[in-house]
Amino acid sequence: MSRTAVLATAFMVLISSTVIVIAQERKDPPRAANSQPSAQDQQVAAAADTATSTSAPSTDSATRRDVRTAVLSERAMRVEGEKRFQTNCGRCHLAPQKFPPRAMATIVRHMRVRAMLTDEDMRLILRYMTE
Amino acid sequence: MALPPLLTKDDVGYFRAILLALSARKSRVTRTLYAAALLALLVLPTLLFAQCPDSQASSAPPPESQTPDSQDIKPIPVLQTSAGFISTFDGGEPHLGPILTPVLLVPIGQRWLFETRATFESDLTQEPGLSGFHGTLQKEVEYAQLDFIANPYMTVTVGRFLTPFGIYNERLYPVWIRNLATDPLTLPIGVGPSNASTGAMVRGGFRANSKFNINYAAYYSVLSTVSPVDSSRFAGGRVGIFVPKARLEIGGSFQHLLQDDHSNLFGFHLIWQPRALPLDIRAETARSSTGSGYWVESAYRLSRLPFARNEFRRTQLVARMQQFYTGTVPSDSVLPVNTNMFEFGVNYYFRDDFRALTSYGRQFSPEGNANVWTVGITYRLVVPLGNGEVQ
Repeated sequence: MSRTAVLATAFMVLISSTVIVIAQERKDPPRAANSQPSAQDQQVAAAADTATSTSAPSTDSATRRDVRTAVLSERAMRVEGEKRFQTNCGRCHLAPQKFPPRAMATIVRHMRVRAMLTDEDMRLILRYMTE
Repeated sequence: MALPPLLTKDDVGYFRAILLALSARKSRVTRTLYAAALLALLVLPTLLFAQCPDSQASSAPPPESQTPDSQDIKPIPVLQTSAGFISTFDGGEPHLGPILTPVLLVPIGQRWLFETRATFESDLTQEPGLSGFHGTLQKEVEYAQLDFIANPYMTVTVGRFLTPFGIYNERLYPVWIRNLATDPLTLPIGVGPSNASTGAMVRGGFRANSKFNINYAAYYSVLSTVSPVDSSRFAGGRVGIFVPKARLEIGGSFQHLLQDDHSNLFGFHLIWQPRALPLDIRAETARSSTGSGYWVESAYRLSRLPFARNEFRRTQLVARMQQFYTGTVPSDSVLPVNTNMFEFGVNYYFRDDFRALTSYGRQFSPEGNANVWTVGITYRLVVPLGNGEVQ
């Protein structure tokens, strides 16, 4: 088989694969990531509700609001950390399993230098990976 | 009465030689100054840009105020090892390639990190008249560097480090990361002997505004002929712009050789991960006096197929096309003839750190076309050297 024929075949395979993949994705659009609270989030929120409801009767709505705000902030941080992790780390390799926190701190510092992560990305990723 | 000439022919020749030597010296000094000015130009704007308070504007929650605990985690030394066994059939000739790459990370305080990576590998082939496969063990210190995190925008590195020219050498080279077992044809361009530099480097990344980040590296390497830590004398830099929302990074590399032909090298790179698809697209181009070329690689994870999801989500299809053109200056580190190559591969991830990979490639060159088959496994292991839990 000539070189031109091989290259033409390879080109056709690439084009047809791309078309098939795009058609497949249009039929099955990806779910919006993090659009719904996860089961863990719901558990955390429920725990917050329980904590405030079982505390002293004098607990007012402000305290309840503070706890809920803290829970939501915690969730926002986790979602943001996961997003930063997938955006930055996923550029080169798969998501690794989580390691012990102090080992993770070393690895994230290493990747900060290697992958030139921003300071903010590093902190959010470290938080996400050590939760 | 005729006066004797002030300068004889010999005197003129002597002074001409001195002038030539001076001009050559001046040229060398000028080039060094140009290189220093280029480094300053690369680094200063990024630092100034980073110092601007508006550049840190972000829609994300302010992490420093909300994540005090991440600062309290005291890091411990970590040993990471990646291992692989790659069998290659290049033009019908079998090669067995065991490789072991330990990486040692030693954090010192809150701002320092010592990191080193060594590689032990072999290329075992069949030799006429002998049974089995034979080869020698190659040992190499790929990097041994001390990093000082000076501020959120800049890290200073000294020692032996991977040359940041393009993206493959620094980010995609480890055997457990690369999608195809074979190196790109343009890999030797711009990275120096043994893919590393010996000298100093400043680098960093920062959020330029809410839409994109900037990362940069500027380095200077000295000449070293001591094997296996040899390096060339050059200076260069790399700048990249990363758009998190689009998951797109584009960037360029520049290098000026301060030895041999004192030539300039250029490179450009691209990484794109479309949000709608589990697809990675990477591309790199390099141009130098010893050769030029490019490679384009795409990798698609079959995680969206409606059947056999558990098996297909672990499967990745890879394709890479590359072309290499010889340059005006011959070099042993690059191919001697123009070469085209395309490869297709299938990877299967048993876990995130353990996978099997296989590929087929066809290489076209005036020296003869050849099929290149590879099959292998890669594994990565992380060992914390101490108590990993927070006290």
